[in-house]
Amino acid sequence: MGTWDNSMDQSDPFESALSSMVSSPAASNVPVSGENVMMRELIGKLGNICSSGDASCYTTPLNSPPRFDLSMVNLPNRSSLAAPFSADPGFAERAARFSCFSSSGNSGGFNDPLMDSFKLSGNQPINVDGSQSNKNSGSDKKNSGVSRSSSPENAESGVSKDESSVFQQIQSQNDAGTRKRKSTPREKPKEIPSPAADDAKVASENEESNSKRSRRNGAPAGNGNAKGSNDGNEKQRKENSKLLEPPKDYIHVRARRGQATDSHSLAERVRREKISERMKFLQDLVPGCNKVTGKAVMLDEIINYVQSLQRQVEFLSMKLATVNPRMDVNMEALLSKDMFQSRGQLPHGIYSIDSSPAFPYGYQPQQGLLPLTNGIPNTTETPFSMKTQGFLLPSVDGFTDAHPQVGPMWEDDLQSIVQMGFAQNQPQSYQGSIPTGQVKLEL
Amino acid sequence: MDLHNLNPSSLKSRFTTRFLRALTEINARKPIASSSSPREIFQRYRRIKDAADTSMAYSVRSRRTWSKATLWRLRTPSHRRRLASFGRRSSLNKTRTTTTASHRGAVVVQITSRGGGLGVQLEELRELVPGGEAMDLCNLLDETAHYIKCLTTQVQVMRTIANLYSLE
Repeated sequence: MGTWDNSMDQSDPFESALSSMVSSPAASNVPVSGENVMMRELIGKLGNICSSGDASCYTTPLNSPPRFDLSMVNLPNRSSLAAPFSADPGFAERAARFSCFSSSGNSGGFNDPLMDSFKLSGNQPINVDGSQSNKNSGSDKKNSGVSRSSSPENAESGVSKDESSVFQQIQSQNDAGTRKRKSTPREKPKEIPSPAADDAKVASENEESNSKRSRRNGAPAGNGNAKGSNDGNEKQRKENSKLLEPPKDYIHVRARRGQATDSHSLAERVRREKISERMKFLQDLVPGCNKVTGKAVMLDEIINYVQSLQRQVEFLSMKLATVNPRMDVNMEALLSKDMFQSRGQLPHGIYSIDSSPAFPYGYQPQQGLLPLTNGIPNTTETPFSMKTQGFLLPSVDGFTDAHPQVGPMWEDDLQSIVQMGFAQNQPQSYQGSIPTGQVKLEL
Repeated sequence: MDLHNLNPSSLKSRFTTRFLRALTEINARKPIASSSSPREIFQRYRRIKDAADTSMAYSVRSRRTWSKATLWRLRTPSHRRRLASFGRRSSLNKTRTTTTASHRGAVVVQITSRGGGLGVQLEELRELVPGGEAMDLCNLLDETAHYIKCLTTQVQVMRTIANLYSLE
């Protein structure tokens, strides 16, 4: 375990913890300054990972707001670090992540590989930012139960070849099982300024959103310095996160700023987002729903639309029941072909249904039944069409207008259509409400 | 020419072929006589409607809950359906107009206890969408979207066929 845990006291406020940390360097077996540098780098990396939009956020078990303060314990100079930090807005997330790691008790040993990686990270502060994020992602995964030694290795792989190789060497040296903080002999003064900046930002951010994780969009200006390396790092990180996600088996949700972070509310938020997404999709499907807002009204519209569609089906099937079809090849071919052709006219018909005052959102099939029954004995086309035109949609009229156009067309493609129809009919056997087995077209 | 625009294996074409086959079969079995009684007409109407629903449910490539429910509804005799409906929260029969007040009230109470404000509409939607009784809101919305899409296709095809029939 570590001294890390021992020195942390959940009840201590942020400042007091810092002061206690400063005053009791003996608690750690590592020189305070070095450790603080490492911590800052760690936190910086955490923030980088969070801010860069890592899809796998930490899961609900890791939420423990009080511990967030604890992670800040080893930032002695946070006031001085405030200035360079502004570049990194994703810091609170990093700090939060770090706090989660510390809360799970891994902090002692957890720090070591990260610190090592920080030391390796490099010659430029820019690299540190990028490498930090990778390392942080590795540390994230570590915390969730993957072996500590492996995850930083994975994280490191994206940073740079040199760093990763050295890092892996260090990882091999580290004992995965141990949770003690090991001494970090390697220390690079160059890395101090950027981690310091990160630390300052962590401190400030920590105060802002004390126990909340905040949502940061993308890499801020601080990370922008290393855009090239960051892109590669991000990709690596994402790949690494994918590699490390399977063992987790949680649904990763990023908690929004100012919202509760317990598991139930997160799951509830996911569910609500899914539902709203589907409602939007339905809004596109149902015509005339663009202006409508609110679930209840939308649902009413959807219900009305489904009812009207079902009524239309009933009405059309009633109409088909009353029509005396002429069964000939031309008819069938014409049907298959014209059905496709009249696509352009049908939407007009649908909209006219909705807009026509006589049939608000659909018409009553019972109204159509009586006149149809009257027209049944009369099988001639004209009286039937005259009667139906009284009820039917304007699309019928539209269609009749288009009828003369149809004539020449299906003569040309008649054979192809018939062949298509036959080809489809033969291999398939229709099973359904028709009790007879094969259905063959009678020509 | 126009055939190139349409995907030969789309939902519309699949439904069209199935429905046309069913329609021709129905017409072949009982051709409309000039002296058809309204009852015969009604029986024909029922058969055509069932054929339309069945062919649409079959044309759905990915087996959806509503398509399975439609086929089940059309295949299972009504007495067996009533027995099975005891296991479900509401009657499977399309009883939009015949649901008793008490039954409806019971269902509404059941739903409003969970729905939180949308109870009545949810219950109505469940009644409308076949097979929607045993689904949570998330999946129900999914099914509704797919069902609406298929219904519009069905209406288009049937309207075209009806127009063609009436014109010939």
